Amino acid sequence: MSGFARGFRLSSELVAGVAVGALIGWLLDRWLGIAPWGMIVFLLLGFAAGVLNVMRAAGVVRERKLND
Amino acid sequence: MDPIHQFQVQNLIPLGKLGNASIAFTNSAAFMLAAVVLLTVFLLGATTRKAAVPSRLQSAAELTYEFVADMLCSTAGKEGMRFFPFVFTLFMFVLTLNLFGLIPYAFSVTSHIIITAALALTVFLIVLTYGLVRHGLHFFNLFVPKGVPILILPMIVAIEILSFVSRPISHSVRLFANMLAGHIALQVFAGFIILLGTTLGAIGWVGGVLPFAMIVALLALELLVAFLQAYVFAILTCIYLNDAIHPGH
Repeated sequence: MSGFARGFRLSSELVAGVAVGALIGWLLDRWLGIAPWGMIVFLLLGFAAGVLNVMRAAGVVRERKLND
Repeated sequence: MDPIHQFQVQNLIPLGKLGNASIAFTNSAAFMLAAVVLLTVFLLGATTRKAAVPSRLQSAAELTYEFVADMLCSTAGKEGMRFFPFVFTLFMFVLTLNLFGLIPYAFSVTSHIIITAALALTVFLIVLTYGLVRHGLHFFNLFVPKGVPILILPMIVAIEILSFVSRPISHSVRLFANMLAGHIALQVFAGFIILLGTTLGAIGWVGGVLPFAMIVALLALELLVAFLQAYVFAILTCIYLNDAIHPGH
């Protein structure tokens, strides 16, 4: 995989996490009328999820597994 | 000259209205149909006359089969092969559409996020459905890592769920953005030639050789990107399917 493709993959992982967190936070704020708390909490959680995505994609952290 | 104009969806055959939205056979649909027809003809043509010493067409089909089968087997294991028809279809469909986009005047279907998002969501729903059917509620253990102190467990679970939900976004945006950026770059450099020629006259047309050389180089790069992004899309599908298939491998 070329450097460009790799960089693009990692950045899109981070952005996706933050975007999903922001979207969920915004929707919760709207539906439950708890602005700005939903946004604050879920944006931070989304950022953490994005970082987790990046670390998984880079192979720093192992993929999630089902434990049975 | 407008670099975005090439991505415009045009109605070719209007089919009526559904509520306020007009339904039509668009240029996007036409290229998807062309891709499906081409692939069907290619694979049927390659497999009707099977020979021990394969013809050129047959060995091309065998190569694609082996390529996808290897990719699926190495990421999702033997059991992943039950998803082979799905992954093969997805890979060939995306690859053909990417390559179609490189033909001058052709419409590049995969540079529309609605297409890539629909494909990525299909993968997401298949992973979710298959995981739930196969493992039942046990599938949700995916979000509960072992050996995490109970105090921070709720937060970790929330992060894991968000990470899971964000997958279709990064999955679709990567393909879409790569295709979009490549085609805009090509269009912009092509615009330079026209701009040079019309403003500087003869000297400009000669100078246009430079952006033209750039286009040739970019086109070669785009060919690589078209293949690479189809591959990345397919291999991520395999990785996601692996989650649904394998309980703690």
